[in-house]
Amino acid sequence: MGDSWRQPVSQNKQSEDAVNDTSIVTDSVKRFKWVGTRPIRPDGIPKVTGRAMYGADLKLPGMVYGKILRSPHAHARIKSIDLSAAEKLPGVKAVMSAADLPAQKFDYIGPERVAVNFWHVTRNIMAREKVLYEGHAVAAVAAISASVADHALSLIKVEYEVLPHVIDVDDAMAPDAPLLFEDMMTRGIDPAPTKPSNISKRLDFAMGDLDAGFKMADVVIEKSFKTAAVHQAYIEPHACLAKYEADGQCEIWSSSQGHFAMRALTAQIIGAKLGDLRVTPAEIGGGFGGKTVTYLEPVAAVLSKKCGLPVRLNMTREEVFRASGPTSGASMTVKIGVMRDGTIVAADGVFKFQAGAFPGSPVMNGCLCAFAPYDIPNARAVGFDVVSNRPKAAAYRAPGSPIANFAVESVLDLCAKAIGMDPLDMRIKNVARIGTPTLGGPKHAHAGFAETLRALRDHPGWKAPLGANQGRGVACGYWFNGGGESSATIQVNNDGTVLVATGSPDIGGSRASMAIMAAETLGVDYNTVRAIVADTASVGYTHVTGGSRVTFATGTAVVNASTTVVKDLCKRAALIWGVDEDGVVWEDGAAKPASSNVGDFKPLSLKDIAAKAAATGGPITASAGVNAGGQAPGFAAQFFDVEVDPETGHVKILRAVAAQDVGRAIHPSYVEGQIQGGVAQGVGWALSEEYIYNAKGLLDNAGFLDYRCPVASDLPMLDTILVEVPNPTHPYGAKGVGEACICPPMAAIANAIDAATGTRMYELPMSPPRLLAALSA
Amino acid sequence: MARIVFTAGFARRYTSGVREFEVEAKNLRGVLKAMDDMFPGLGEHLEEETTVAINGEYHETGYFQPVPPGAEVFFIPRIEGG
Repeated sequence: MGDSWRQPVSQNKQSEDAVNDTSIVTDSVKRFKWVGTRPIRPDGIPKVTGRAMYGADLKLPGMVYGKILRSPHAHARIKSIDLSAAEKLPGVKAVMSAADLPAQKFDYIGPERVAVNFWHVTRNIMAREKVLYEGHAVAAVAAISASVADHALSLIKVEYEVLPHVIDVDDAMAPDAPLLFEDMMTRGIDPAPTKPSNISKRLDFAMGDLDAGFKMADVVIEKSFKTAAVHQAYIEPHACLAKYEADGQCEIWSSSQGHFAMRALTAQIIGAKLGDLRVTPAEIGGGFGGKTVTYLEPVAAVLSKKCGLPVRLNMTREEVFRASGPTSGASMTVKIGVMRDGTIVAADGVFKFQAGAFPGSPVMNGCLCAFAPYDIPNARAVGFDVVSNRPKAAAYRAPGSPIANFAVESVLDLCAKAIGMDPLDMRIKNVARIGTPTLGGPKHAHAGFAETLRALRDHPGWKAPLGANQGRGVACGYWFNGGGESSATIQVNNDGTVLVATGSPDIGGSRASMAIMAAETLGVDYNTVRAIVADTASVGYTHVTGGSRVTFATGTAVVNASTTVVKDLCKRAALIWGVDEDGVVWEDGAAKPASSNVGDFKPLSLKDIAAKAAATGGPITASAGVNAGGQAPGFAAQFFDVEVDPETGHVKILRAVAAQDVGRAIHPSYVEGQIQGGVAQGVGWALSEEYIYNAKGLLDNAGFLDYRCPVASDLPMLDTILVEVPNPTHPYGAKGVGEACICPPMAAIANAIDAATGTRMYELPMSPPRLLAALSA
Repeated sequence: MARIVFTAGFARRYTSGVREFEVEAKNLRGVLKAMDDMFPGLGEHLEEETTVAINGEYHETGYFQPVPPGAEVFFIPRIEGG
């Protein structure tokens, strides 16, 4: 863990001038017994001893092994699939192709950003008319062993007509580009186009008067940027196990970011009812957004249905790279106008995002987050969602925001340089506050941005001297954070121990956070509370672990259920004492008489009352379901010190300091871990990670040896500053923390490289060959 | 009265380009009903496709959300994270 300190900030400071006020007020922090402490994580011992059960560890009696045949071509028409030889191979229990999945209607369902078109989804699960990327699933088998399954795959005959392919987003938008869908007309253009293209959607957001804004500016800078597609690079490949019974009931064990989402997606794709599917979450080895979508569960369910045996499917690392979603790469142009005093008066951005082989990049988020940290009166963001012959893009931490952020924060740095202003001071001058309009329309309703920038400026490293070939760069980042539907159930056992069950898969330490919030609300020892993630049949619906929503939304459900338990405990204490219910209060984890008038009774702890559960009404339990709203957004500000080797182009990270408004850190170690993880992933995005395609449109680096993630030796200790501006809409003030932290590193490092070398990088990753070429230019 | 605002894209699709409305409503159900009365079918689109910001606070589009007098109710496309 890096150096860290928490800077609590009173809410009444939020509207004061940030430039002139450098104080951080600390006197309004409410003291808690458990919230804000760092108890041992409940999932720690099984994980470090290798006993935790991940998706690929699960086994059932009679289980057979599934394997998927994948396209060797980037783009090809499927002329025929012959499964007969594979079917006849001894040991093969089931074979399938897309013909075994029901047809889906062509219809965009649901909210625009996440509109799901199951016509597309089912074709991504298994190709039909065409394969659209190397690794696209074509058929699947289940057999008594993995080797028999591999042999069976080799017997499947697929006749392809290879088609021209397109990988790059700008190439895919060209008028003569090979079309993935010959009938795709761009949505969002009025009048609708009459010629098909690879542009699935155009969208735009605007406010103010852009032309007038740029006319006011003393300096206008416009630059174009490119980012590479990068993978979430979770350690655990996708895995699931399905058992389909003759009565139509199906059980699935799956490693995902949302077992309720897996249930819904699988039900739709295989044509089952929600009530016929029960999904149990396995322990999850990382997701970062990439495990909010399904690849394997419907295939395993269909194979199991066909053979009547449990079927397990695991992806290999190669399959993860070739067939599961990275985030989008992009091509962008950003123009910003500033006045000599540092005021940003206009900003314009065009963001072209790769969606992969099917529509649905996070370009809308990119547009809405691009300028969100700042008060810019005249702004516009235009986005394009573009398909090309790559795996379908999936969510990755703050989906879309880090991509747009690289361009915007790079241009902001150029603007500061042009007017001779400190880049952090320029950001502080323009920072968004409560009431600042956003490009999406609503005004900001929460504070924390200015406080975070001030905290970063106060870090001793900000003014530390630098040596030769060294430079410092700063950048900010924004993410909406999420709320929505979550459920929790509390059970009080007769011995006074407490069970907390939620529907949120634990990726970032949520079991510890849930136990802390329950312990705090109930007034009991954290060590008596056990938190679990329950299956879809054992707890109420809960949306995915994503969008930095769990501590906020599921945490609210836990607190609400705990509060109901407290009311029940008071009622039972009243019964034990023979007094009215309103004569009992809950203080310090015990029922007490509300006043001396009620009577002289010794306080009854939760344990005391639990021992009398049967006599006072039976099991003590409560559930709560919420549709949590009012989440506060996440805001991060970071600076990096780098040293550039002018002979090799290698960039060494000397220092990384990450400040973030975290609301209130329920378990500070986990909050720091989230921030450090986001920063580390951002360093990889900035310096080394990219999908490399060859001339045939095939991925050349589908493994961790060639797809270079940062490792511990690439990174210094990552300093975190937890700025605590409590969120008034959460019982303990929590804000989501898992995503804003990945937004700043790419631009901050580019800005640091510029400061060190005088060379501006416009394309990610800023790998040694690319940087060396730029330095030599 | 509450001030109802749509994004330009949403307004283009569903309200003939008109972006702002004033309606009398105590909660979001009232807002959805009022909009649906003006543009039949719009209530369902709003419910299924949007997130709502009431005075800047984001919520899912649930009937129960209170709408204070004079509130700005902004419907935007729903956001999903990673």
